[in-house]
Amino acid sequence: MKKFIAASLALALVVPTLLPVHAFADDAAAAEEPITLTVFRGDPGDQPTEDNKIYQKIKDEFGVSFEFEFLAGDLDEKLGMMIAGEDYPDLFDGGNSADLLIQNGALINLLDYVSPEKTPRLWAHIEPQKARLINKDEDGNDVLYIIPNYGLADGEQIVNQVNGPAFFLQKQVLEWAGYPQVHTLNEYFDLIEGFIAENPTDENGVPYVGFDILCEDWRHFCLINPVQHLMGRPNDGEVLVDVSTDEFHTETFIDKPYAKPYYKKLNEEFQKGLISKDTFVMSYDQYIAQLSSGTVLGMFDQTWDFNDATYALQTAKMYDRTYVALGLVYDPEYVDGKEIEEHYVNGSLPNVNRGFGISVNCECPERIVAMWEEMLSDEWQLLFNWGIEGEDYSIENGRLVMTREQYENTLDNNWIMANKARAFFESSPKKQGWILDGDLAGNCWEPGNQPEIVFDQMNEYDKAFLEKYGYQKFADFVNPPIELAPYGEAWQIDYSPVDVDHQDFLDIQDKYLPELIMTDPDNFDALWDEFVAEITPSATAFSEFMQEAVLAEAHKVLDNQ
Amino acid sequence: MSRVKANAGQVSGGTTKKGFFTRLGKQWQLLLMSVPMVIYVLVFNYSPLWGWITAFQDYKPKLGIAGSKFVGWKNFEWLFGRQDFLQSIRNTLGMSIINLVFGTVSAIVLAILINEVIHTGFKRFVQTVTYLPHFLSMVIVVGMAQNIFASNGPLNQLLLNLHLVKQPVFFLGEGKYFWWLVGVINVWKEVGWNTIIYIAAMTAIDPMLYEAASIDGASRWDKIRYITLPGIKSTFIILLIMNIGHLMEAGFEIQYLLGSSLVMDWSQTIDIFVLKYGISKQQYGVATAAGMFKSVVAIILLFAANAMAKRLDESTLI
Repeated sequence: MKKFIAASLALALVVPTLLPVHAFADDAAAAEEPITLTVFRGDPGDQPTEDNKIYQKIKDEFGVSFEFEFLAGDLDEKLGMMIAGEDYPDLFDGGNSADLLIQNGALINLLDYVSPEKTPRLWAHIEPQKARLINKDEDGNDVLYIIPNYGLADGEQIVNQVNGPAFFLQKQVLEWAGYPQVHTLNEYFDLIEGFIAENPTDENGVPYVGFDILCEDWRHFCLINPVQHLMGRPNDGEVLVDVSTDEFHTETFIDKPYAKPYYKKLNEEFQKGLISKDTFVMSYDQYIAQLSSGTVLGMFDQTWDFNDATYALQTAKMYDRTYVALGLVYDPEYVDGKEIEEHYVNGSLPNVNRGFGISVNCECPERIVAMWEEMLSDEWQLLFNWGIEGEDYSIENGRLVMTREQYENTLDNNWIMANKARAFFESSPKKQGWILDGDLAGNCWEPGNQPEIVFDQMNEYDKAFLEKYGYQKFADFVNPPIELAPYGEAWQIDYSPVDVDHQDFLDIQDKYLPELIMTDPDNFDALWDEFVAEITPSATAFSEFMQEAVLAEAHKVLDNQ
Repeated sequence: MSRVKANAGQVSGGTTKKGFFTRLGKQWQLLLMSVPMVIYVLVFNYSPLWGWITAFQDYKPKLGIAGSKFVGWKNFEWLFGRQDFLQSIRNTLGMSIINLVFGTVSAIVLAILINEVIHTGFKRFVQTVTYLPHFLSMVIVVGMAQNIFASNGPLNQLLLNLHLVKQPVFFLGEGKYFWWLVGVINVWKEVGWNTIIYIAAMTAIDPMLYEAASIDGASRWDKIRYITLPGIKSTFIILLIMNIGHLMEAGFEIQYLLGSSLVMDWSQTIDIFVLKYGISKQQYGVATAAGMFKSVVAIILLFAANAMAKRLDESTLI
């Protein structure tokens, strides 16, 4: 036995030293030298396994392997450090702060490599949105630094569920209330109040939390963003834009009288005990843990922000504790009797300046662009999205289908790490929407949108739940997408020229809004006035900047039409 | 190490010029041995000072030091014009002083207690148990603290059950508690580690002193007061001088992890301010200016503490 252990140890030591030699010998046959690209992703993530089958295919085909670094901590701090040291990876996804990379000259202009002749597929991919994507630099040259990772979709917009912001409510609350329609702020909180009065705790005796407000770091949008939606606009970040005229009047909303009723309402709910103090000091992990336990009845958030909690609830088969996205608006009493039309879902738009750019330190930009060009082929897109035919999916009568087991695999993080090239593909140019040409026309590029999967693989609870409402899909709880405004979505605008004002603007909100929610109701009005006085200077500076930026962005698109 | 150097300097300084070089020649082996350290200090501690020039620039990494624009004292003006920078100086000093006082007092008390224990096995056990938290990551410690101090956490449960409070205390969300929380957490984490050096100093005290005191009829208290405490006095002063040099560093991790927007006015330290406005917003000049300010204050504090120790006729560091 000892000998066996010794032998296997010796083998374990020797084999890895042999492997690279072997791999090298293999790839030497390929046209190009094998390389390892360093990749930075501006969000947290998991390393793929060593023997991941898709990365293996990329290595076989292109001789390219990847070394991933994921974000830990704060993105701007990390990027600030990288810029100070000009310490850049080859492939760079700067997340929501990629503008910093562009301003500091960290990325190369992709138009040196992308053109209708050299890269027909990539060009066709960006061409319909090129007015939004291609900018002018200081010298008046056309520049494109990043090909969007999402939002360049083919065919009609697919909205099966709300992926962005909404007020969320546990399905059991709606079930308890007999499946009512919920459209206004008051209706929403009345439901939560009613439910919690009758069921103060869950079946394990853990008290229910009525409404959670996540305030941690950049995720404080859960605290500061809702007012624009209550006023009937999709997500423009921290400003409210009047799209009814060509002047696109833009203003910060948090300091306006119409923001007051929302926080006043939260203050009332806090006094009634529906909101816990701890929500204001909760970390993101604690928040996800709390949602995953199924004891939080409602919150304002964006669907992708609590995916982990949804998966956990589904895995635990607590389907009635998962959430429905509702599009709430102010009750007329709050806005001078005006009826507000709800618009939470926006028309699709490219994720401008989000996705991979190639850094100035990269030695083989041409090769990467050529690889992307090849990867936009139908075969590679199917491989990235659906996997390997016969193994991960099959084609029946021209339809892409998955068995139950194959579908459940795609929800399992461990399986994904070994069988999907997620960390690379998420930030890469990709096809989305409907497959328009070829034998597979009429299918969806993404399994998550394919009707066979969305509807057939839905759990029984959800099916019965939708049936009660007479709905086909969960997106039916909100209005269909509104037409995209010419400026896109204002949160995508680079506000770094007013960075410090913007930071003050956010800090003051972070400090005052929780206080306003927790304060004595008699003190609310005085504190609100103090808040408005404090925030006005930075809010004004930010509003003025955004007004110009929104107009400039709108004209870029309108003038190109 | 530093004290040895200081003494050597005094001796050589006292001789004539010729004698100095003769002595220097005789000590060439020692000089040779110190060369790597001198080079190390020059390369890693002195040459980066060149970068301080960026404190007077609107520094852009793309342009480098040579290409960036000089702006005079603008970065400093910006810093000191900001209410939250002044607040962060206050917070840094406040938390440092709390940490220094709590940390030193708790370490000395625990060291004396451990020193008084006769049973060696128990002594070792206590020592090991108290210094283990030192090896925990601050992330874990703060995670534990967040649970313990939460409104529905064990501490509040205890206070409620003992009828000491009527409403749960919102430890994590009220600025007035923040400094003390940091102090308590630091003591919990570092007390065992800090005792090590005092226990070492106590072992160096000649046991004959205790024996003689016993014969003279000294009680246990008397022995602690007249032998143990004076015995560790020089260690205490050296550590104090060193710690005063670090007063501008109140720690970074704990405030970064434990702070939230609710307590920002009390939790933001200079380091966090620099990270937020200097690094994240690419105002590298401002970041350098703040760092420079910190260094200058630290040097002044260090010399002041040293001078004070000298006046008290005690061992000094410099």
